[in-house]
Amino acid sequence: MSASPPSSFPTSVKALPRGLAKGFVTVVVAMVILVVLCLSFAPSSISAGALAGSLPFASVLAIVGLGQMLVVQQGGFDLSVAGGVSLSVVLVTHYPAGDDAQLLPAILIALACALVIGVINSLLVGYLRLNAIVATIGVNALIYGGVFAVSGGVPRITTSLLASIAGGNHFGIGNAVVFALFALIVVAVAMKKTTLGRRFEAVGASPPLAATIGLSVRRYQMMAYVSAQLLYCLAGILIAGLTTQPTAFQGDPLLLPSVAVVVLGGTSLLGGRGFPVSTVIAALFLNQLSQFAYAVGVPYSAQTIIQALALGFGIGIHSIRLPNKNKKLTKQSNPEETNETFVS
Amino acid sequence: MLNTPLPSTQTMTGGTHSPGNVVLRLSGVSKSFGSVAALSDVSVGFHAGEVHAVLGENGAGKSTLMNIISGVFQPSQGQIEVSGQRVATMTPELSAELGIAIAFQHPAVLSDLSVMENLRVALPASLFEGKPAQVVARALLDAVGLHVPLQARGDTLTVAQMALLEIAKALAIRPKVLILDEPTASLDQDATDMLFGRIRDVVKAGTAVIYITHRMAEVRQIAQRVTVLRDGRKRGEAMVRDVTDQDLLGLIVGRALGSTFPPKATDAGAEVNLSVRNLTGEQFKNLSFDVTRGQILGVAGVAGNGQSELMRALAGLLPWKGEVRLNGEALNDASILHKAAFMPSDRHAEGLAAGLTIRENAALSALGAFSRFGFVSRTRETEEVAATFQALAVKASSIEAATSSLSGGNQQKVVMARALLSQPGLIVADEPTQGVDVGARAEIYKILREVSLRGTPVIVNSSDAAELEGLCDKVIVLSRGKMVASLTGDDVSEAKIVAAAVSAGTHAEISEAQTAAKRTGWRHFVQTDNAPVIPLAVVIVLLGLYGFSQNTHFLSAYNVANMLMLATALGFIAMGQTIALLLGGIDLSVGPLAGFMVVVASFFINDGQSGATILAGFALMLAAGLGVGLINGVLIRFANFTPIAATLAMYIGLQGCSFLLRNGPDGYINSDVVAWITWEIGPIPVAFIVLLGFALGGEYLLRQGRVGWQLRAVGSNENSARRIGIPIDRVFLAGYLGSALFTALGAIMLMAQIGVGDPQQGVNYTLSSITAVVLGGTSLKGGRGTFIGSVMGAILLMEVLNAVSFLGLSQTWQYVFQGALILTAAVVYSTLRTRAAR
Repeated sequence: MSASPPSSFPTSVKALPRGLAKGFVTVVVAMVILVVLCLSFAPSSISAGALAGSLPFASVLAIVGLGQMLVVQQGGFDLSVAGGVSLSVVLVTHYPAGDDAQLLPAILIALACALVIGVINSLLVGYLRLNAIVATIGVNALIYGGVFAVSGGVPRITTSLLASIAGGNHFGIGNAVVFALFALIVVAVAMKKTTLGRRFEAVGASPPLAATIGLSVRRYQMMAYVSAQLLYCLAGILIAGLTTQPTAFQGDPLLLPSVAVVVLGGTSLLGGRGFPVSTVIAALFLNQLSQFAYAVGVPYSAQTIIQALALGFGIGIHSIRLPNKNKKLTKQSNPEETNETFVS
Repeated sequence: MLNTPLPSTQTMTGGTHSPGNVVLRLSGVSKSFGSVAALSDVSVGFHAGEVHAVLGENGAGKSTLMNIISGVFQPSQGQIEVSGQRVATMTPELSAELGIAIAFQHPAVLSDLSVMENLRVALPASLFEGKPAQVVARALLDAVGLHVPLQARGDTLTVAQMALLEIAKALAIRPKVLILDEPTASLDQDATDMLFGRIRDVVKAGTAVIYITHRMAEVRQIAQRVTVLRDGRKRGEAMVRDVTDQDLLGLIVGRALGSTFPPKATDAGAEVNLSVRNLTGEQFKNLSFDVTRGQILGVAGVAGNGQSELMRALAGLLPWKGEVRLNGEALNDASILHKAAFMPSDRHAEGLAAGLTIRENAALSALGAFSRFGFVSRTRETEEVAATFQALAVKASSIEAATSSLSGGNQQKVVMARALLSQPGLIVADEPTQGVDVGARAEIYKILREVSLRGTPVIVNSSDAAELEGLCDKVIVLSRGKMVASLTGDDVSEAKIVAAAVSAGTHAEISEAQTAAKRTGWRHFVQTDNAPVIPLAVVIVLLGLYGFSQNTHFLSAYNVANMLMLATALGFIAMGQTIALLLGGIDLSVGPLAGFMVVVASFFINDGQSGATILAGFALMLAAGLGVGLINGVLIRFANFTPIAATLAMYIGLQGCSFLLRNGPDGYINSDVVAWITWEIGPIPVAFIVLLGFALGGEYLLRQGRVGWQLRAVGSNENSARRIGIPIDRVFLAGYLGSALFTALGAIMLMAQIGVGDPQQGVNYTLSSITAVVLGGTSLKGGRGTFIGSVMGAILLMEVLNAVSFLGLSQTWQYVFQGALILTAAVVYSTLRTRAAR
């Protein structure tokens, strides 16, 4: 090489394109505003004690949100969150029935179940071409069949080992928070740093493009559904440890918030790029919003309305720049769409 | 520039042909898309009783012209006059009113509607007055020689049949101006002759026909007057009998390219590096050609003659038979996919992922080369991508720019960067300069030439013959999927390429128009939206009998009434959900909305309240429905929310509103009202009969009412629906309003069942309603569905739940049956549909 001048192509990332960083900026600004509000009006809601009580549940939501995000990135939608979480809760409480020695096998069984459920979801969506909503509604019902087969609907007390694992503290932070951080790091690094993750994002962003360069869209869909179930399973195990007597429906209240944090985090429901960090912050935000509302004496009802408004506002911000062309439910729903070119 | 003298348009030319007045006149019409001028200053008049051909290459501006006349596009400048009256703003609706009919080259035929419904949704109701619709429709189809069953669904038609249907729709309104866009592209000789006969008939009756075509032979056959467009400008207008083919060809070709081409390969005849023998695929047959080292091969032909299929096959994206050897190595479908780098013609759909930065787009195919142990080295990636961008002179603000911030030319360079970074064995470029500005074109040509010189075979498909002349060393011309010319050396000229492409007078070989199998009544029924009704009925009856055999009380009047009452609430809500799904959307808010309405009612419809207060309660339930439906529709249509996002936010908000009004169950519902709502005749609740009435009425509207056709048309294909003049936004709003209003009916039933305002009730109806609708056979893809099926789905669901508890089975089975039912139904329906579509 002759002494050619160093590449003059601008490679700096000083100015992140606005469209891409918007989710992160929005959610961080919202979080900062909320923290300021908390400090001024309800300092008790961010006291160490309050945080120690609420953060573990925020962590659970964050983990579930990460799973939902992976599925949404592939243009899907996972309604089997509820079943997945509930199943792992009952598996790790009923099987050991209080016996610490049985905990590890129970966790392994739960993970195996998650794997199987993820594979079933992806087969239904990828190979039988079912709509993701229909497939996961059906699978969710089947999982609940399993939940009742295992538990009979009766809650059982969690093992003390699991309670100490999920509810314990290390370095002053709850273990659940550590697990969530760990999940976040794994997801973020895998997605942003590895070839697999980069291809995963590209497949979600444009399945037709992925097909032209020889990537198997179905395989990446399968990856999404399976990883999502494993994350739900982790969340279920944590819930089982955090709650002394978990019910059989522990996953239900997580379904809608899991979608809400994904959307608030800036991931498009049409698929594509995922924002793991923003998703986790959105989970903290939603959680803190409830804490704040509770602390200032807003009834539960108003809290959900505030959440809905926050969600609508978040989607509104992200929707402004979305291309207007795909209003259908999911990208896959219209594979035979013709390309009408008016200019010719 | 060649320019034929313009005979005055006003001169009466006597003889066999006597044109009438100018019905449609365009004066100084221009249209640009961004910086690209598609039409500049075009003035032309179309006469009554005359066929006026508009001739030109791809991209000459013909379709733009037509879209301006039909009101799909608004001109940037210039004006339109119809029958001497100036039209301020042309819209599709107005142009139809003025008697302008158009048959699109890509027919606006809705694949989920039957032939009959396609006719009725697109044509004015007045056309069907007085006579049975069947007779009218049959006559319309006979007029174009289309012999298909009226109930045949759009997706069972062949391309040729769709083209004929499109023409039948245009002819039906006895238009003053009839626009035909490449009408014979998919027709065989018989159908073409028949069409020409029809055209002569309507011309005799005084219609002005605008005939857009690529084929000169057809111009001679059918047209009296011809206008040639090139580069969006009018190059000449003449009476057909006054011009020679040579004159016309001279007007069509010879466009100024304004960009320079790199020198061609000098040492032709060196080693062959790509050899193709007897390649046969979807739209092409027996193609054989060689590419030698340093050559660029061009693929030419009139658009839609197999070129793009050939490109996709060579890129490994479509199956093919035959032999392809790259540097002596035989390739198959799978290996060619990894050898070839494909540059698709539709950059936005296949070339670039809009959500990713240009670095990510370019690096995608070479990630493996940039990584170690599965981890991408960002430094290497950035260096190599930047170097490639530098080499290709990509102009962007940064390597992390969004694809949308780049010009068309630079976007195409990003696609090229990806192709080059993957170190391909073969480059397949489909329309590489479409939508690319002049300057960038020259650079793209240079890059392709350099790649070719380095020994990588390059194949370019272009509808621009001048580009092929300048760029390629060898050009093959396709017509109807067959190679009609192979040009090399000095023969690679625009004139020869166009001549070969447009003079090929061959028509579609197989008599495609009439090959669709006639379906018998039964086979036809299996394909209708209502087909699931039969298996559902069978399952409902069998389950009932099984329950009865286990426990006779299962079919007791009390239990049947109980089941039907529950099914009625779900049935109404499922009908609402059906509307949302028919539109290709979804309404997640129905459950909480029903619950919210009950909570509202619990403040008014109590014991001891006056009649007026009770009525006010019902009115408020209705008002809540109207408000929610409106907000959903507005968010989806005007605020750009996806249906899931909009109705999810609504879901959470409504749940909050319910809790805002009531903290726990309170406010008992008036017992008289409850008694009225739950009034039963024998084992049958009256409300259930009302539900059946709504389902049958709704079903009738869906099949026979304009509103039903419009709803299904919009859900089936929004673009086609817009082109046939359906007010999309209004249909969407009406749909979500309808969904909310049916939910209100469901809420009334729910109110009677729970008898108290409970903020926790109702939410489950969202998922149950989707389950019922899917069981009933409505497709989540939109356009296809049935109210009757949804109601039966609701009945089946409630029967199953009831049976489980009745037979003493555990809750496990309740869930397992539900899950198994919905999955089985979804799999069965989707399999049947895929089969039917073939």
